[in-house]
Amino acid sequence: MNEFLKILPNLVEDIKAAQDIIITNIVLIGQTPAPTFKEKRRSTIFMERLAEFGVDEVTTDGYRNPIGIIRGTAPDKPPIFVVSHLDTFFDRDIVHNFTISENRITGPGILDNSLGVGVMVSLPILFKKLNLRFESDIVLAGTIQSIGKGNLRGVRHLLKTWPTPIRAGVCLEGVELGRLNYFSDGMIRGEIQCNVTETKGTFYQFTPNAILVLNEVINEIMNLRLSQRPRSRIVIGKIAGGADYGKMAYSADLGFEIRSDSYKMVKSIYNKFRDIVEGISHENEVELSIKTISNLKAARLKFNHPLVKNAAAVLETLGIKPISKSTESALSIFLSHKIPTVTLGITYGENSYTDKATMEIEPMFKGIAQIIGVLKAIDSGVCDDE
Amino acid sequence: MGFAMTNNWLEKNTFHYSAFSDLNRLVEEKQKKNLKISLCLPTLNEEKTIAKEIIILKSELMTRYPLIDELIVIDSGSTDNTVKIAGAFGADVYIANEILPHLEQFKGKGENLWKALYITQGDIIVYIDADIKNIHHRFAYGLIGPLLLDDQIKYTKAFYDRPISIGKNKIRPTGGGRVTELVIRPLFSLFFPELTQIIQPLSGEYAGFREIFDKIPFPIGYGVETSMILDIYEKWGLDVIAQVDLDRRIHRNQDTKALGRMSFAILKTFLNRQKRSGLIDLKEALFDEIIQYNLVENAYQPVAQKIKGLERPPMITIPEYCEKFDVSN
Repeated sequence: MNEFLKILPNLVEDIKAAQDIIITNIVLIGQTPAPTFKEKRRSTIFMERLAEFGVDEVTTDGYRNPIGIIRGTAPDKPPIFVVSHLDTFFDRDIVHNFTISENRITGPGILDNSLGVGVMVSLPILFKKLNLRFESDIVLAGTIQSIGKGNLRGVRHLLKTWPTPIRAGVCLEGVELGRLNYFSDGMIRGEIQCNVTETKGTFYQFTPNAILVLNEVINEIMNLRLSQRPRSRIVIGKIAGGADYGKMAYSADLGFEIRSDSYKMVKSIYNKFRDIVEGISHENEVELSIKTISNLKAARLKFNHPLVKNAAAVLETLGIKPISKSTESALSIFLSHKIPTVTLGITYGENSYTDKATMEIEPMFKGIAQIIGVLKAIDSGVCDDE
Repeated sequence: MGFAMTNNWLEKNTFHYSAFSDLNRLVEEKQKKNLKISLCLPTLNEEKTIAKEIIILKSELMTRYPLIDELIVIDSGSTDNTVKIAGAFGADVYIANEILPHLEQFKGKGENLWKALYITQGDIIVYIDADIKNIHHRFAYGLIGPLLLDDQIKYTKAFYDRPISIGKNKIRPTGGGRVTELVIRPLFSLFFPELTQIIQPLSGEYAGFREIFDKIPFPIGYGVETSMILDIYEKWGLDVIAQVDLDRRIHRNQDTKALGRMSFAILKTFLNRQKRSGLIDLKEALFDEIIQYNLVENAYQPVAQKIKGLERPPMITIPEYCEKFDVSN
């Protein structure tokens, strides 16, 4: 592995020489809309491109996650997975045409995660150009139904039904170059909905206002005491309600996230939320409900896990400073299956969740070199004894 | 007087790009016939779209499949970053005024297309507008396919389902083609009913053999597409022309006044051609200004713009060209 680290920085220029193909993949994939639950068109392009690049096997799993398999040289070695989620936050009727300037590409969904998918699709042709072979099969999976209400269903199904052991995984995200995620917090995302019927309640003189009811819910949540250990956090991330300035609000919704090092703590806080909701619902005689949108169990590799150490060494060899923090993504599903996995970012960018999302082109080549470096480290057996 | 469509051109010479998506076959055919193919992108302030066009066409049709031998940009004097960006992404960039510099200089798309004949090396030349937002390599291989696979076809023309961008973020599913339906098709119906079978005579993407392009004149500006069809039809007949459905093309929408100016240029080109071939008789010369009106503080103000309808002679009449390509007029 050390030998490969020595030549790794030289690969950056060779990767850059294929920039036309890499950018074309990012653009052709990114310009095909893929809102969660409607990823079919992007999935078709994903498979077409892999087939054109001569990938040994291109197929879908039982859940319609598109997959390409590059056969390795040692059939007895378990496969290495590279995954990137196909779905984006943008609806189909949003114009998905990307603009390329000298060193930037702009377009909706490019950072999360058309860039990741486009780079993943480019790996087979880069392996050929760089004359790289792997002992393990490399499984390239574009997972569907990941974000929001998708609740990572695609990757959950992929790993649950995969028939063989998996050697290790690498999850790709567009930004930021330098991220080296190897742990994920426990997390529940949910919604609290308040609906008021127009008939008056008996307790109050006036019809309750759904927004004010939710306000009361927020106040109660803010009164909760959160533990320092396990570290926990509540985010009130979304709120919507009412119809007009002078009209009583008959409905309102609140979106929240609870995170903690411990999933047990997340569930305990969620139960407190439920008690609050039941109490306020009863006292105000309003319809107040709470439901879970998505959840993740906390999972982690240790910092001294060989995959983490070797991935950090790859980044540092390329002059990239590794930054580690929790991520709520496919990583946690891999880790919960006891598959050593890291998440890597590919380049720098800004305005992630707007239609002006912009990525920088030049740092991407280092970002791709780091992916290849980490795959080579895994293939050399750094995780095999763990 | 009615006209009966006697031949089955529409059926026989209309293709869908997907019929040519086997790029290995096209490359094989090109090599077998020992042909070179050049791709030309005429530009004027296209910094938003030019990089994407170059990257995708180069990646798919040069790097991955050696179908195109050269990709050139001919610029009419952009004031934005078009030239810099095009060069950065590996196109051969030429400034129109610097090609055949001793000739009088004009500015327009037709001028760039005409000068591309002198600059490029290919036996087949593909012209693609540089403002396509959803560029895909099918725009090029779809036009090249019939030229390589059918020996009778010498010129291919694109047509589309044409959504146009409206406002910031939304696409209207159909639209565009107003000048075609309000100007060109009525004119063709009056004079050349056979040509009405060409679904979008004004589409900006076409390809053909050098031996065709160098024998026809090129209007400097808007009239170039109409003129090209009329000249090819007149010299070689409809059967050398094919049209290819390239699916969707998303481009800038132009306002009605710009379309008015375009229509003026097309009408002028058309009428001059008809006069020259003796089909119509004009007692007086046509005016060369389009006059449009703006409402300024409750008063109508005319705005006149000269559109001379100049054209370049067939390239084969230019001595430098004959010398460079070893051909004679």
